[in-house]
Formats: sequence, C-alpha cells, structure tokens
Amino acid sequence: MKGKALLVFLVLCVFLASGFTGNGPARAAEPYHLGVALGFTGTGTLYSKDQMEGVQLAVDEINAKGGFLGKHPIKLFQRDTQTKPDIGVREVKDLILRDKVRAVVNDYSSAVAIAVKPICREYKTLHFPAISNSENITKVDFSPYTFQMVPNTYMQAKAAALAVAKMSKDKGWKEYVTIASDYEWGRSTQEETVKNLKTAAPNLKVKKEFWPRLGETQFTSYITSIMSLKPDFVYPVLASKDNVAFTEQAKPYGFFEKVPYVGSMQSVTELITEARTMPRGLVAIARAPFFAHLDVPMMANFVKNYRAKYNKYPSDWAVMGYDTVYALKQGIEKAKSIDTDKVKDAMKGLTVDLARGKLQFRPLDNQLRCSSYVGIVADDPRYPFPVFKDTIEIKGIDSERPEAEIIAARQAEKK
Amino acid sequence: MEFTNLFSQFLSGITYGMILFLVGAGLSLIFGVMNILNFAHATLWLIGAYFCYSFWSVLQGYGFALWLSIPLAALATAAVGWVTEILLIRRIYKRELHEQLLITYALALIFGDLIKIVWGPTDRLIVRPPIIQKPVYIFGAPLDSYFVFVILVGFAVACGLWWFLKYTRYGHIVKAAVFSREMVSALGIPIPRIFTWVFTLGIFVAGLAGGIQAAIGSVTLGMDISIIIQAFCVVVIGGFGSLAGTLVGSLIVGEVFSFAILYWPDGAMVLIFCITAAILIIRPWGLFGTAMRA
Repeated sequence: MKGKALLVFLVLCVFLASGFTGNGPARAAEPYHLGVALGFTGTGTLYSKDQMEGVQLAVDEINAKGGFLGKHPIKLFQRDTQTKPDIGVREVKDLILRDKVRAVVNDYSSAVAIAVKPICREYKTLHFPAISNSENITKVDFSPYTFQMVPNTYMQAKAAALAVAKMSKDKGWKEYVTIASDYEWGRSTQEETVKNLKTAAPNLKVKKEFWPRLGETQFTSYITSIMSLKPDFVYPVLASKDNVAFTEQAKPYGFFEKVPYVGSMQSVTELITEARTMPRGLVAIARAPFFAHLDVPMMANFVKNYRAKYNKYPSDWAVMGYDTVYALKQGIEKAKSIDTDKVKDAMKGLTVDLARGKLQFRPLDNQLRCSSYVGIVADDPRYPFPVFKDTIEIKGIDSERPEAEIIAARQAEKK
Repeated sequence: MEFTNLFSQFLSGITYGMILFLVGAGLSLIFGVMNILNFAHATLWLIGAYFCYSFWSVLQGYGFALWLSIPLAALATAAVGWVTEILLIRRIYKRELHEQLLITYALALIFGDLIKIVWGPTDRLIVRPPIIQKPVYIFGAPLDSYFVFVILVGFAVACGLWWFLKYTRYGHIVKAAVFSREMVSALGIPIPRIFTWVFTLGIFVAGLAGGIQAAIGSVTLGMDISIIIQAFCVVVIGGFGSLAGTLVGSLIVGEVFSFAILYWPDGAMVLIFCITAAILIIRPWGLFGTAMRA
C-alpha cells in the first residue's frame, strides 16, 4: 500500500513539474507565456512604450486566430526594467521563475540586454533584445537563446559609410570635415568613421577635423568655420547634448541648406516629436522606418492597424516590437511546437516574413540580417512630419561584420 | 581666404565675446566691489536660462513669449541672488579668498542639484519665433539674426553699467567702496545694504545672460561648468572690477577663440589659457584693472 502511495506521489510530482516548468512539452490549449521586460521608466521610456504597442498589436492579431499554432493563446507579462541592468536582471528572473515565460522581449538599453542574456541562457528562455543594438549582444559570449532583431552598431556604422560613399559617387563629393566631441567615444568613433569612409570611398579626403570640448555650449565659431571651408559634407560625431546645441545653433545660419550634415540617427520618433524644429536636409540613418517598406503588404497592413488602434504612425521601435512577435510565431510554426529548445533550433538560420520584408537570422550569431536606412530628412505632403527622401537601403548582408572576425573575437574571449 | 569668410569669423568672435561679457560683467562687478570671488556665478546664469525656459513654456502661445521671458528670468534670478546674499554671502565678506572659493563652489554644486530637482535632467529647448530663425547677412557674411539682439543687449548692458557707475549717486558710492569701504561706512552709508544690492545687480546681469542663452541651443545641466572657466579668463585678462576691462577681455577671448578655430582648431583653448597665464605673470591686475586691487 505504501509503495502504491509513493508511486502515485511520484507520478503527481512529475506531472506538476512538467506543468509548471516553462520549458516542458506543449499541451493542448496551453497559453504561451511571453514576457516583456522594457525600460518603461528611465531614459528608454519613449522608445519602450512604442515597442510595447508593436508587441501588443502583433499579440492581438495572433490571438484573434487562436494564438501560436492556432491553439496557444499568447499571455503577456509586462515588467519595467527602469532601463537599469540590475533591475532588468531581477525582473527577467522573476518573469521566468514566477510567470513561467518561454520568451522575453527585452530592453532599449544594450547594457540591460547584455546583463539579461546569461539569465535567459541559464534558464533556457528565448531572449529577443528587439531594439538594443550593441554588437556585443550577439558577437561575444554567444547565447543560442538570444535573437537580435535590430541592425547592430557595426552594421549601422558600415551602412552609414556605404551610403555616404554612394552619395559621394552620385553627387561628386570629394572633401569633408568631421566635428567630434573631444573625449574617448568621440575620438574613437571619428577614427572608425574616417577608416570606414576611406575603405568605402578611397577618393574622399578629410579637409579638417574639429574637436569641440565635451559639453561645449557655444558652437558659433565652429559653424562659421565649417561654412567658410565649404566642404562637400560634414560628418558629426557629437555627444547627444552637444549635437542638439550644434544643430540648434547651426539652423539660424542656414547651415543645413548649405552643407550636408550626415550620419545622425533619426528614428520616426524623432521625426515626429521634433517635426517643428528638425532641420530639413539632414542626411540621417534609421533602423526600421515604416515608410521605407510600404511596398511590403505586411508593413502596409501593420501601419493601417497600428494607426487605427493608437491613432498615430508607428515608430521604428514599434515596427521592431511587432516583427519580434511574428519572428517568434514563424519559429514556433517551423518547430511545430512551443517547446523552447525546439523553437530555438528551428529559428537558427531561419528566414522570416516580417514587416521589413523577408529576412534571415544569421546562423553564426542569431543576428537578423536586417537593413539600415539612410536618407535626407524632408517634408512630405502625405505625413504631418518629415520623412526620408532618396532613401538608400543598406542590406544586412552588406553591412554585417565578416564571420571570421566574429569567430576570432570569440576565440580571443576564451583565452 | 575670402574677406566674407574672415568677416564671418570676426562676427562669430563678437557674438561669443558678448555672451562671455554678459556672464563676466556680473562676476567682475561683484569681485570688484565686494571682493567676493563667486564661483557659483555661472550656475546662477544657468538658473536664469532655466527660468527663461519656464516663463517661455507658460507664455509660448504669444508672439512676445521669448522677449518677455528674458527680463522675467533676469528678475527671478536676481531674487535668488538677493536671498543668497542675505543668507550666505554676507557672512563670508571677511573670509580669505580660498575660503570664499570653496564656499561658492559648494554653492554651485547645491544650485546644480536644485536645478536637477526643480527642472529634471531633461534638456530644455525654446522654439524661437520665426523672425529670428533665419540668418541676416552683413557684407555677405551670415549671422544668426538672434545674435544681433545679443550684441545690442551686450552693449546696452555695458553702457548701462558704465552710466550707473559714472553718473549716479549709488554708482559713486559703489566705486568709492571699491577703494575704501571703511571710509564710505564712516560717512554713514550702510555698506551691507549697498553690497546686497550690488550682488543682486550682478546676479541680475547673470540672469539676463542666462535668459538670452536659453534661446541659443538647448538648456542642459552642466553648461555652467563649461563657461565659468572662460568667464574667469575674461575677467583676469580685463582686470577684476573693471567694466571696460571685462568688455575688452571678452572680445579678445571671443576673437582669439574664433580665429583659432578657423586656423588651428586644436589650439583654440590653449591660446586663451596662454594669454590668461601671460597676463597673470606680466600684469596680474589685468589690462584695465588697477594695481592697488591686485
């Protein structure tokens, strides 16, 4: 009798354990627990809110058809990382252990994403740092559970160089000046940019380099000097506050009408919020602007539904949030299961249909081979804010770091 | 290099010099009369910029928002200066210079944190009225049209302070106090009250400069630290306590900086510090200061 009771107890334990671990096999109608740990407060608030809206819309659309595989309704669990790594780690752990999530859509801050990555690897939970773009999220300390949905820092820098090289060829640009904040980041980024441009367009020459102090408040002398030099374009590497100060002081000089100012990142969020003040004529880079892919039916449909639900246009961050859930959906469909390890294996090298078009996860590092977009900020009668004109799309495959360099970096890391 | 380009750089030097003059004038006045080396001066200038932003935010529906916000910011900052003088500054008149520097440096840090608490860490941006969004051209050289206003205000402040010191009774008292506060006091003039108003006047000018600065780029934390050193260079070159010296010192710094950016960008700040160091060695009381004060 005692033996029978023990057997029943053991069976019960196994049943309970399988039912309560997020990674167990799927059961009919079992909801899919999806965690969303974003910086809803802190520096990433604005972007995270948009990203959440994109995620929510995708979840609503999929749930309207019964959920993943038509039978696993998605249940969302939302947490605030405060854009801080320690809080991010705490919240993601809690999502995994308490809410039994199978996947986590993560932060705006790369520091948070890098801190969360080993937690997800340890607990075998899928990790989508959907908008944070440090290259190190996928390049080193690799996690097979982490899938990057955004062009990373290397891809963006190379894309900017390739786009400028193309523009130089089209427009006959020969000389440029750089203006970079005089500290470590400014110096190293400027150096990298000049190197990239030299490779992409060997005929381009640096005419002069300006190094304003970090925190400079008076840029007038720099502005008039650059205008006097009449370069074909300016490549700025200014820290955020300095960039605002420079831009605001250069505008009343008619600077941007005279000298192309290239390379600053302007997502749809900035295009909308700074619609009144943003100088037209900036040559800017973006990660996922909706207007670059309205020819893709999925994007057109997304924009229509997003506008209907939120009464605004979707930002890059909303697009990437939306794409993340659909990439997961297609991974689950290929795996024919919601089992995390099966989905992880299915997503390796998978080509997915997204709002940004047909894109592949690179097998080596799970980095989505997504494009970067460089264009000239200009008004468009179709929108109440400026968008890009003459957009150059640099494909992920053309801007990604060579695989050999990644392998070498990982080997160096092991030593 | 074409004449237009050189002239454009010259105009940049004038505007930069005027901004420095507006910050340095109050600093020099307070030191010249009260012998107080106020390291918190630029932080009060920054408070002026934030005040201007706040007034502008409330009034932004009106075309005159910016033009009214600037004097209001100057008055509000002067009120902060008045309270500061009564609560703290008057207690350190007789302290050694290095003690004053430490105390006013602490004050700069306290004000910096107060700014963070009141206005938050977010950068603040004033949208200029359309009339000053375009450049004006002087002999073909472009100039931000707002800087025409900045230059005019700079000269108006210089003339106003000069007139005050030269032709008014209070101006004469202030000038007399520079040389011998004991003698002025012996004549029955209430020196502490005079000092309070001189300090308030100095901070009023700082607030005015801050209000003007608010529409040049964005208002951000830490701006004060980047300008205070240059303001000190200006008053060292011109001579502490000398209004004309501050004006000339500002224009020298502005022009040297501006042309150095054009020809030798890496050395722009170095040149200014070299000039300051040379003045300190050769003529410690500055170009227009008096040896007695040094």
